[in-house]
Amino acid sequence: MILPLVSTPDIAAARALIVGNELVFEDRYDELFGIFEGETLIATGARDGFVLKMLAIDAAHQGGALLGELVTAMILSARQAGHDAVFVYTKPEYITSFKALNFSLLASQERAVLMEFGRGLPHWLAANQALVRKGSNGAVVVNCNPFTAGHRYLIETAARRVDTLYVFVVREDRSIFPFAARYRLVIEGTSDLDNVVVLDTSRYIVSSATFPTYFLKKDDPVARIQMELDVALFAAHIAPFFGITRRYAWTEPCCALTAAYNATMRHLLPRFGIEFIEIERITAAASVISASRVRALMAQNDSSGLAELVPDSTRAYLASPEAEAIREELSEKHRS
Amino acid sequence: MEIRKKAQAGTMQSSDIMVMVEPAETLIVEIESTVKKQFEHLIRAQIEEVLAKWGVASGRISVNDRGALDYAIEARLEAALHRSGGG
Repeated sequence: MILPLVSTPDIAAARALIVGNELVFEDRYDELFGIFEGETLIATGARDGFVLKMLAIDAAHQGGALLGELVTAMILSARQAGHDAVFVYTKPEYITSFKALNFSLLASQERAVLMEFGRGLPHWLAANQALVRKGSNGAVVVNCNPFTAGHRYLIETAARRVDTLYVFVVREDRSIFPFAARYRLVIEGTSDLDNVVVLDTSRYIVSSATFPTYFLKKDDPVARIQMELDVALFAAHIAPFFGITRRYAWTEPCCALTAAYNATMRHLLPRFGIEFIEIERITAAASVISASRVRALMAQNDSSGLAELVPDSTRAYLASPEAEAIREELSEKHRS
Repeated sequence: MEIRKKAQAGTMQSSDIMVMVEPAETLIVEIESTVKKQFEHLIRAQIEEVLAKWGVASGRISVNDRGALDYAIEARLEAALHRSGGG
């Protein structure tokens, strides 16, 4: 029988089983499940939002019905939490086992694969069919927390070099500016550019499924695996659907993780026939324009320098009553 | 019968089928199966028969099949429909 694991000894047993299967035990999860035989834990797995992870089955019990039992419980628990699609990170040798459970392969890398249950990717692509344009198209993926003059420059420059430029805005709500506001500011800030199509990344580019450590801003071996899977998913499934042959990003002088993500694209995208082009960042008052610089100014209640850093549409939003809670949160962080 | 809310029945075990139903404007039947190539048409026929029997005219029916036999498909789908229709 499958049980949620909540007590300290049960969690310790799960940890031992997970580590014994050469996986890393992570504290971040919503629910941890286990299957016991007598007193012994023989299978375990965790659900973190819509991602299944740390699936481990005792060596003597592999190849039986336990994986199906575990995955059923985790999919039901994900559905109860409101997630229709479910992702799993696993080792390449388990692709067949998960295919037998109707998972489909999204991306693979030497040491890890990302698989999805629930046909979410084909559904998402089909829902965007009306946005597909013919020609030699480009793409940028941006978080825009918030939209700056730098984003505007990147999009404008890239748009000039392609037939259609798709601007994918990170859907995940883990940034201080909510997705709805980030998305709207991108649309407003690019509304005069005829060949720009703005859409969101859903769960398929830089999301907590494809690239969870992006939001932790930590560069480690796990982050590297995730970056490769994220880029491979884009190159193998998303780019061909939209006719994207070039991906643009700006040069990254500050954040090590973003720099590593660019390096991954530089090295992986050409293998899929996609060109990766970096565009030099623009500067204001001798340093590069970035969203973090905008947030720092807001935290200090200094709106004098903002005009140089953001377009009018963003500046109007930042000063609006709608953004008041964000202004307070930023200045509170600054004080503490 | 009308599908009023999300509901589910069945498991991902071998020889079973997991059925998920939810309200939708039209009738959509999605089939994932380990034996899709050989048996999709038979699974679909079985599902359509059960839907007709209960007079289901709209809803999204997603099934994940691992080689379930007809009676299992019928039982799981009926259970999911009953769970989705009531209060």
